[in-house]
Amino acid sequence: MLRLDDIDLIYNPGRVDEVVALRNLSVTFERGQFVTVVGTNGAGKSSLIQTISGAARPTRGRIHLDGRDVTRLPDHRRAGWIARVFDDPRAGTAPELSIEDNLALAMARGRARGLRFAVTTRRRAVMREHVAGLGLGLENRLADRVGLLSAGQRQSLTMVMAALSAPSVLLLDEHLAALDPGTTATVLALTTELVRELGATTVMVTHNMDHALALGDRLLVMSRGRVIADYDGTEKSEMTVGGLIDRITGAGDAVSDRSALVEKVTS
Amino acid sequence: MTQVLLDMLVTGLPLVPVFLGIYTVFRLRADFDLTVEGSFVSGGAVCALALVHGWPSWLALLAGTGGAAAAGAVTALIHLLLRVPVLLAGLVMSIGLFSVNLHVLDTPTVSLGTVGTMFSGFGSLSGRQADLATSGVMAGVVAVVLAAFGLFLRTELGLALRATGVNARMARSQGVNDRRLTVLALVLANGLAGLGASLTVQYQGYADVNMGAGTFVAGVGAVLLGELFVRPSGSKLLRIVGCVLVGTLAYRLVLVGALRVGLPAGDLRGVTALTLLVAIAAERYLGALGGLARTLTRNARSATAPARQEAA
Ligand SMILES: Nc1ncnc2c1ncn2[C@@H]1O[C@H](COP(=O)(O)OP(=O)(O)OP(=O)(O)O)[C@@H](O)[C@H]1O
Ligand SMILES: [Mg+2]
Repeated sequence: MLRLDDIDLIYNPGRVDEVVALRNLSVTFERGQFVTVVGTNGAGKSSLIQTISGAARPTRGRIHLDGRDVTRLPDHRRAGWIARVFDDPRAGTAPELSIEDNLALAMARGRARGLRFAVTTRRRAVMREHVAGLGLGLENRLADRVGLLSAGQRQSLTMVMAALSAPSVLLLDEHLAALDPGTTATVLALTTELVRELGATTVMVTHNMDHALALGDRLLVMSRGRVIADYDGTEKSEMTVGGLIDRITGAGDAVSDRSALVEKVTS
Repeated sequence: MTQVLLDMLVTGLPLVPVFLGIYTVFRLRADFDLTVEGSFVSGGAVCALALVHGWPSWLALLAGTGGAAAAGAVTALIHLLLRVPVLLAGLVMSIGLFSVNLHVLDTPTVSLGTVGTMFSGFGSLSGRQADLATSGVMAGVVAVVLAAFGLFLRTELGLALRATGVNARMARSQGVNDRRLTVLALVLANGLAGLGASLTVQYQGYADVNMGAGTFVAGVGAVLLGELFVRPSGSKLLRIVGCVLVGTLAYRLVLVGALRVGLPAGDLRGVTALTLLVAIAAERYLGALGGLARTLTRNARSATAPARQEAA
């Protein structure tokens, strides 16, 4: 179980450029729950993800993961339990390094890194097995630089890396945003498959209202650093894209450009 | 000609560990550490002092390595505690270390005189044979250092080090503590500088408080030069050590050649700067040519031996 209690996240506190990114936010994610998060630009979705991952330290409040207080642990110390996929396909992998080096880096997640060889024959076999499941032929290109891969391939690789160490929380921040429609479908299928396989608590931020409604068993709507609506599975299944956009705009925010775009494309 | 090559080896091989350290920070971590200008002297000074106090030569070598590594640790502390860039921390250190080194040496130059060094056994040999024996011993040390470094890069820790330089955010999200790796990289790089300085001091028979000046630029020049010949990249570890070895020797060859044609020693820094510029210019404007040449040779090679894969 992942629990956030009374979280405030304030950037540049006390200065003229102070920004309140999260305000008095309390939310509990049950173990294995798949939650989608929507909201306008600047609503605080990425801030929520960063607070959970430890990349941002909240100004106030506590975070508990499976009964353990992780508030003060920096992101690299939470990495054993919490895996992240970024919106930018280039952000989740090291382009200069080979595919196998990237995978080896992820394999050691949550363990102390020492003087063992990072890539061994046995580990390479495990890697092959994992990337073969993507059906991209990457299992035969393990020595290739990741920089040579396309955005979709890199994002798929990042998903595999996230899954390698069986995290209990999976954070996806607009991880489909940079992909073309065909690749989006592929990576989306991979996402649902991995989430089911891992059984990890999953938080997926998206600007795609269809995805937000179709995926997962809970939906959060954020605005100005707060959760303004929280729908469970049944409520969510009765929701329409139009209704959801009304809910977001009803909060006094203009619906984000990207959502509007998706709306136009899908309707 | 043989003498030029021997000069290149005896003056160049001790620099290989130093420039390997510079490669570690400059390329693997994508950062600049100027500490090396001072820590190179610290390593040499500690080594000279240890020798004068009658330590065995190999122990003095380790002492010099440790002394310089400590300087790297201080740079890392300044960087982390005061939250200043490594570049600034290293700059401050390189200035401050001058005074520290002078105190360690007590006089600007400490001569080893008749003190036993790794190379003193070769005194009875003729000039050329002594050079051969000296470069043989140095090559042995350098080979061990390069092999150990290459193997280290293959470990989980070495991989984490390589990843932090390319994508620190990603490395952290994969559980890598990049602050700890910054310390490791700086300690390692400066320790390597101290090792090279100790070799230099033992070979030349004295330590001088100014012997480190220009080390950083020379190292960057050598790395750029090496990259012209050997294309290293994050996961091609043989090429990384190869690049440093080839670059260092090529750089020394230029300097030794300049001395041979009669340039005064005072012009060597100018030659170093020119080498750096030429290496940069060659990378910029001949990059395409170099790539073409490489493609041609590769095609020629694969035509003769179609099954052979490109070397790691
Ligand atoms: N590093 C930072 N420094 C200062 N302010 C920040 C920083 N990161 C985010 N903010 C601010 O915090 C608020 C919330 O930003 P956040 O990135 O969480 O929004 P978001 O919901 O992810 O938006 P988007 O849909 O555009 O990704 C915004 O007003 C933003 O400007
Ligand atoms: Mg965002």
